[in-house]
Amino acid sequence: MKSLLKLVPFVRPYFLRILAGCAAFFVARLFEASSFLLVAEGIDAIDILDRGNQAARGYSLKTITVGIIAAVTLRFFFIVFARRAIRRVGISVSFDLRQELYASVQKQGSRFFAGIGVGDLMIRAIQDISLVQRLIAMGLIQLVIMVYAPVIAVTVMLFKSPSLTLLILPALPLVFVYAWYMSKQLAITSRAVQERLSALSSHTQENLSGIRTVQAQAQEDNEIARFWLSNDAYATAFYAQARINSLMGAWMPLFASLGHLGILVYGGNLVLSGQITIGELFVFFYFLNMLLQPIRMAGFFVTLLQRAAVSTDRLYEVYDAVPEIEDRPTDNTPAEISGSFELRNLSYTYPGSDASVLEGISFSVEQGESIGIVGRVGSGKSTLLKQFTRMVDTNPGQLYLDGHDVCDYPLARLRAQIGQVLQDPFLFGEALRNNISYDDPDRHLDLIWDSAESAALRDTIEELPQQMDTVVGERGVTLSGGQKQRTTLARGLIRDAPVLILDDCFSSVDTETEEHILSRLKAMRKQKTTILVSHRVSTLRHSDRIIVLEEGRIAEMGSHEELLRLNGIYAELERVQTQGISSSEDGGSGEYELSGSR
Amino acid sequence: MTDLNQATGSGATGAQDAAPRSDARRSDARPSEARRDYAMFDAELSGAVLNMHLLGRLMAWLKPYRITLVLSAFLILFTSYVAVIMEIIISRVLVDYIIVGERDSPMPDLGMIDLTIWLEGRLGVEPIYAAGLIFLVLLICFSVAGHAHRLTLISSIVRCLRDLRQDLFTHMETRPSSFYDRVPIGRIMTRVTNDVETLYEMLRGIGGLIGEFVPFLVAMIIMLSTSVRLTLILLLLVPIVAVATFFFRRASREVFRLVRNSVSSLNQNLQENLSGMQVVQLSQREAHNLATYTEINKDNRRYEYKAINLGTTYGAFNDSLASMGLGIIIWYGGGEVVQDQMSLGGVILFTRFMHMLFTPVVMLGEQLNVLFRAMASGERIFQALDWDEQIHEPAEPIQLPPRLKGKVEFRHVNFSYDPDIPILKDVSITIQPGEKLAIVGPTGSGKSTMIRLLGRFYDFDRELIFLDDIDLNDLHSRDLRSRIGVVLQDFHIFSGTILDNIALGNPNISRERSIQAAKTVNAHGFISALPDGYEAELVERGANLSQGQRQLLAFARVLAADPEILILDEATASIDTETELLIQDGLRKLMVGRTSILIAHRLQTIQEADRIMVLHDGVVEELGSHEELLAREGLYHTLHELQFQEVDDTE
Repeated sequence: MKSLLKLVPFVRPYFLRILAGCAAFFVARLFEASSFLLVAEGIDAIDILDRGNQAARGYSLKTITVGIIAAVTLRFFFIVFARRAIRRVGISVSFDLRQELYASVQKQGSRFFAGIGVGDLMIRAIQDISLVQRLIAMGLIQLVIMVYAPVIAVTVMLFKSPSLTLLILPALPLVFVYAWYMSKQLAITSRAVQERLSALSSHTQENLSGIRTVQAQAQEDNEIARFWLSNDAYATAFYAQARINSLMGAWMPLFASLGHLGILVYGGNLVLSGQITIGELFVFFYFLNMLLQPIRMAGFFVTLLQRAAVSTDRLYEVYDAVPEIEDRPTDNTPAEISGSFELRNLSYTYPGSDASVLEGISFSVEQGESIGIVGRVGSGKSTLLKQFTRMVDTNPGQLYLDGHDVCDYPLARLRAQIGQVLQDPFLFGEALRNNISYDDPDRHLDLIWDSAESAALRDTIEELPQQMDTVVGERGVTLSGGQKQRTTLARGLIRDAPVLILDDCFSSVDTETEEHILSRLKAMRKQKTTILVSHRVSTLRHSDRIIVLEEGRIAEMGSHEELLRLNGIYAELERVQTQGISSSEDGGSGEYELSGSR
Repeated sequence: MTDLNQATGSGATGAQDAAPRSDARRSDARPSEARRDYAMFDAELSGAVLNMHLLGRLMAWLKPYRITLVLSAFLILFTSYVAVIMEIIISRVLVDYIIVGERDSPMPDLGMIDLTIWLEGRLGVEPIYAAGLIFLVLLICFSVAGHAHRLTLISSIVRCLRDLRQDLFTHMETRPSSFYDRVPIGRIMTRVTNDVETLYEMLRGIGGLIGEFVPFLVAMIIMLSTSVRLTLILLLLVPIVAVATFFFRRASREVFRLVRNSVSSLNQNLQENLSGMQVVQLSQREAHNLATYTEINKDNRRYEYKAINLGTTYGAFNDSLASMGLGIIIWYGGGEVVQDQMSLGGVILFTRFMHMLFTPVVMLGEQLNVLFRAMASGERIFQALDWDEQIHEPAEPIQLPPRLKGKVEFRHVNFSYDPDIPILKDVSITIQPGEKLAIVGPTGSGKSTMIRLLGRFYDFDRELIFLDDIDLNDLHSRDLRSRIGVVLQDFHIFSGTILDNIALGNPNISRERSIQAAKTVNAHGFISALPDGYEAELVERGANLSQGQRQLLAFARVLAADPEILILDEATASIDTETELLIQDGLRKLMVGRTSILIAHRLQTIQEADRIMVLHDGVVEELGSHEELLAREGLYHTLHELQFQEVDDTE
């Protein structure tokens, strides 16, 4: 429950609106109370008329009726104002929560996203925020009722008959204790419901993303059986929650109606002994209802509180996540980078892991140089590339860009001037032109075509009916793996950045096209630094220098020719790729085992 | 033949007008085709009409739980009756009989006054205590029956929707590739999760509505027999509520639509931003994207404001009208009492029933929105369930023998996704049992299409493709696929352990077999290095594995399934050469005695093959062994030269 206090900063800006809303609520409640009192007055008036005592006391029925209508009308305006004010606060707060969430996730790095998946974050953005909104909009109103209703009701009841009031009141704490106990149960079940819904939806998402694999392996039946487990688990949890809710729904009115029983018996005797009138007896019925309304709703309110508290925690897990990489407070790095790097004994270990991925990497890159990196699966290539744009938290003093520690550069400047194309070709559900010119949506179309040309994408795009305006991705045309890679390549090339980093982004491009792209790339990036990872010797050989990574260390480094003369790993690689498996098979299978187990 | 071509699409987008259809040999026959509008799956269904047909269909899923539902209905009837009697105890028994002392009023009391008299005589107590005792008993009945009613109702609804969701998932799971080529996953997700949830709200709402209407009807009967005229006067208020509801509905429909649209834009924007976060960060688009999101968020806030303005006014209006009714009762009822037309208890009974009269109407208004939204959800769900696009399966499929020889034959295959763009043109080839065929060719030459056809992911005509001389159209696609191991370009890792990912839940694949498969493709090394080894949990999209490791795992998965025919779709491309060597090694072991079709750009992989087929623009350009094709100095020679260029440089 304490978690809810975290919402205070989000609610505070709307303090005045809440205050105004609460005040209006109070007034509306007073009018409501008056209308009840008037009805009681009416009952007495009828009673008096019925017993033939026309001139006794009280107002005429007409006056009472007009009074009721007036009170009800006034209540209408106040209640509308109050509800609007408070619900608007709920909407505004959820607006702010969403803004904050969006801004927060954008600052996070890969470690964060490994911990909280996309599906999970979506649930937080949709469901958790809407629960908090409900808490504020409905819960606040509920809270107001919880305070006002007993105050008004008890005041009126004490005024009418202290003894009857004292008979009823002791039952109330009992109700609260029960509500509190049930709330604990509810917290457990509602958490289970949320978790299982989350699991169900990520299961579905995952299954559908892999539907082709499922079908290719004829695994539909197994998958359907697995889905049943998530599906049934969710239904079971949901029912368990509904059961507890219903149990509260059964007990609360029972408690309430015991009050009615008290009024019926004790109040009835008071009327019989002439201490109160029939109208006053019904004042008790009405005001007991008013008193109990918040208690009846307590179950609902407690559920809401519990669920919203869980949601708030889940939201704050995102808000409070410290970005893995942050800018230094001061900055004395140059605004423009030229693109020379120096790696001084660079090592890197992923947080939470013992094994280092990179170990004592030292080399320097001159401006305009092109570097090729090759290495086995898990040799640390991608991790090395991530250091340059600080997609991981590089250790200080190990990587220098133009003579300055890369950690001293503001991230924005670093990433603006280093173009990086990732291994996974991700496209946004937007027009191709926006996908290519993603960093700058206002770029001139000619420039976009130029970079498409450089990525050998011009012909492909020209064949599309809407050309550059063709929407791709989830909601549009699906491109082949190679086309996707070339699109992301165009996205990297368009920036013409002083440094360009390509992470194995030709894997689905056929060799003919790749040759074409590489030769253009060579011409385009004469004075600029290029670093690329590839497994193909045919790609690597274009680089000025090639680095062979082995288990996080530099195994070999030099030009294509130098490395061939070295007759080491790279030369073996070259042999395998150019002469094919069959020729190296002559050397015996022992050689593979050697390279595989080293 | 016509029914085989049912999967032809017409997309509103035009660009993707490419549902598969196969041409009969040449374009001599252009079969009439039932055009499938995939845009429909995307369209916003208005749900503006109350579609009883949809509710009727939903009944099919409720049917298994009908006994529980009938019980639930009986319980709500009982509860309502008890609630009404409790009011009668207060107004008629307490006020009229005990306080005022009217015993013989003609107004109904459901025998409660007699019961009280009987009880006071029996127990020898004051009438007020007898009444109290009856009230207490009723109270307990009310609580218990109410609880039982809610439990039975919710349990049947929850189970009904669980079944519906299961059926929906099962149906989606078995739609063909042509469907998934065209319909975004997000759309299907919405149906399986959100739309089913909306139906829950609706069914729960209908249940609640019945829970309000039954007491309403019982109260109405009592009121009518107490005072017909007063009841009719009060009922005059109901049309006012109805008219208000009508106007509110009309005004709010548009607003709610805007709210829904802005919410889905919000979600879509966020989802995409999250999925492409690395690109966003590297492209420095954070501020720009936040600005775009802020605009959508502001729109959403504006529409939400509008929606609550309408909602609060409407709700308060209904409340107030109900309270006005109290004034009318006092005014009119008072007159009736004076003229001895009604008792005082009768007037009080009316004031107590007033809320019962209005709650269902107000609630109906509230439920209408849920109901209409649910109509749209229901429409989407049933549209999905009715989406009968499927691979044509033979009525009496031929059972494949336990062990296949593995002969694959393509006979003059013509195929196109879009009638205007042929993909395969007259492709013929026979692959002998155990033969290894490599297919090479530039991107878009139709290589992937060939293997997709072999896996029967699309429909095509008879007499085109044969497995062991059996027409593929005579086989059940699942039977066929279980004999073909495919490593697709986009392979997928499911969350679960490494072992789960190898066995894919197939009970026939033991732990030992999975580990053996992993060893064969040399994945054992990196798996053993993981903290939990084979029990290591993998996350969404296999993000904690490197690309190469994911591929090794994909190989292990196919290997464990031990298929008779092996298909490799250039997935080898992004694996580093050393790992590649390990895979080639494992693959060579695997390919022994297995018909294998390899698609790769890498010539050294291709050299593994007995024969090479060069595909270009859907036409078989060259076919033969490595040496034969080199000697021909054609397309293969060119590809080969490009790859081997460096040999000349270094030697």
